[in-house]
Amino acid sequence: MFATKRLLQQRQPLIKFLGKRHTPSKVDHTPHAHPASPTHTLPESFATYRQKAQQHGPLNQSAQFSSGSGFIGNRPGASLGPVEPNNGMYFDRSELPARFQRLAWSQAEIEAIESGGASLYA
Amino acid sequence: MFRSILPRAAPKSVLQSVRGAQTSFRASNIYFQDRLRRGYASEAEEKDLVIIGGGVAGYVAAIKAGQAGLKVACIEKRGTLGGTCLNVGCIPSKSLLNNSHLYHTILHDTKHRGIDVGDVKLNLATLMKAKETSVSGLTKGIEFLFKKNGVEYIKGTGAFVDEHTVAVNLIEGGETSVKAKNIFIATGSEATPFPGLTIDEKKVITSTGAIALQQVPKKMVVIGGGIIGLEMGSVWSRLGAEVTVVEYLGQIGGPGMDAEISKMIQKMLTKQGMKFKLNTKVMSGDDSGETVKISTEAAKGGKEETLDADVVLVAIGRRPYTSGLGLENIGLETDDKGRLVIDQEYRTKIPHIRVIGDVTFGPMLAHKAEEEGVAAVEFLTKGYGHVNYGAIPSVMYTHPEVAWVGQNEQELKAAGVKYKAGSFPFSANSRAKTNLDTEGIVKFLSDAETDRILGVHIVGPNAGEMIAEATLALEYGASSEDVARTSHAHPTLSEAFKEAAMATYDKAIHY
Repeated sequence: MFATKRLLQQRQPLIKFLGKRHTPSKVDHTPHAHPASPTHTLPESFATYRQKAQQHGPLNQSAQFSSGSGFIGNRPGASLGPVEPNNGMYFDRSELPARFQRLAWSQAEIEAIESGGASLYA
Repeated sequence: MFRSILPRAAPKSVLQSVRGAQTSFRASNIYFQDRLRRGYASEAEEKDLVIIGGGVAGYVAAIKAGQAGLKVACIEKRGTLGGTCLNVGCIPSKSLLNNSHLYHTILHDTKHRGIDVGDVKLNLATLMKAKETSVSGLTKGIEFLFKKNGVEYIKGTGAFVDEHTVAVNLIEGGETSVKAKNIFIATGSEATPFPGLTIDEKKVITSTGAIALQQVPKKMVVIGGGIIGLEMGSVWSRLGAEVTVVEYLGQIGGPGMDAEISKMIQKMLTKQGMKFKLNTKVMSGDDSGETVKISTEAAKGGKEETLDADVVLVAIGRRPYTSGLGLENIGLETDDKGRLVIDQEYRTKIPHIRVIGDVTFGPMLAHKAEEEGVAAVEFLTKGYGHVNYGAIPSVMYTHPEVAWVGQNEQELKAAGVKYKAGSFPFSANSRAKTNLDTEGIVKFLSDAETDRILGVHIVGPNAGEMIAEATLALEYGASSEDVARTSHAHPTLSEAFKEAAMATYDKAIHY
């Protein structure tokens, strides 16, 4: 180890110690041509598909829902601020979207309770 | 409590239609039918990843995904894992190459080594059995690795139903379908047929038939002087066939092989008994008779010739395999050569469908497919993967072996890169001398200014193993001096590698 270090003072190899590999902090995920692609270009269909897939989705940063300023689609959701109710105010469960609300009892469940579970085996 | 017994999501109408009047009692079997029906509706478990194809790209990706904790399934229609490489490609051919080389050595190369052998006979059936043992051991090994890493193995033919669903036609009969957030296509490649010749894998064969011939043919014609053609030609030539290789280009080994190396190996193989017809076009073939007749013509207009053969090996290349995959159902197109188009993260235009291995860009090599399998899963799990397409080695397992990595002289000249070349012959290497196996050279190409290695080309004993060092050097951007100043054990063949590096930046000691 030290012998190598001493040697390196005289001759710097071209090969470099890269150290432990890390995932780069910024990776450009937008589609580019594959390095082994013979044409070095992406067909038009990539952009078209992306455009189509994004027109209603959160990835679409531009237009669609934001014809004027102040519309939700114009900015990321996070920039709208926290969703907590104001101080001293509370949300009632029934005001929340349906998926947060209590599930309705089904007829079968009501019967099961009323019959003490017997209806399940009847 | 009730959730486990009665799924709340069940629509009331279904419940009531079966139940009839609410107060009436019903038979228990009706109740269970009811449950079963709803059970199906909620059962379909979505996978994180489904891989179509259990070849080298597919199975490596499946194992890697399993290790990363993804819920993964791999669909394979062959019935055994490992794809072309393990079943009908690299592995069985290496078994035949190794054993046929031993046979050839014992037959022709033992006397002057001081070993007198008696009657030497070839037992082709046992030779093939040895090959099958190697193959089955390895394919079963992958099945074990699947279990170990929690990969679900679905034996059947997969086809896209929609962008997230793959229908599987099971080998054992029946059908199933899998839904997945991500899908990898790793369906590999197949041998390109030669127009006008019907492949029956007996008289007119591809590499698949070439590893399973029942008897040694008297005369064999190989169409295509690439790596597959030369390897399989070598096998049957060693076992006693008269092999003629017909190649359209002016050199054997394919366009990637360095021209100087290609000439050398051609001489060596000619010495072993193989015949070569370069710059020759195969015009047509006639397989109607007992033997197959192949009409050839000099590529640049000229002499016509008819070759007669018991067996014709079609080895003109491989093409991506996507038939029956249902690509039309999801609107994925292939390029002019049948490859699926991908971006730098292996994504098709549909971002959750990725493609790896032979069915997409790049050289059709198992180790390249393996790298892609790992990288594609890493793109999925970490958002970042790595394959250096500039440092993928190629190896031809003839004897002597040929191996190279990086660029060759013709490519550098065409690109106008200034380079230095240095080489070292195995005839000056002590270990090669003791092995009485001294044919071949190691050749380095490095940048004229920085001395950074641009390519390494080897023809000689053990070239396939030696190229690993060159690939590592290239991957890390080493100079030829870096390699030359690294100690290599004596006496080994790898000293030839070091000396070639020395010859590139300065001078070799032993030559």
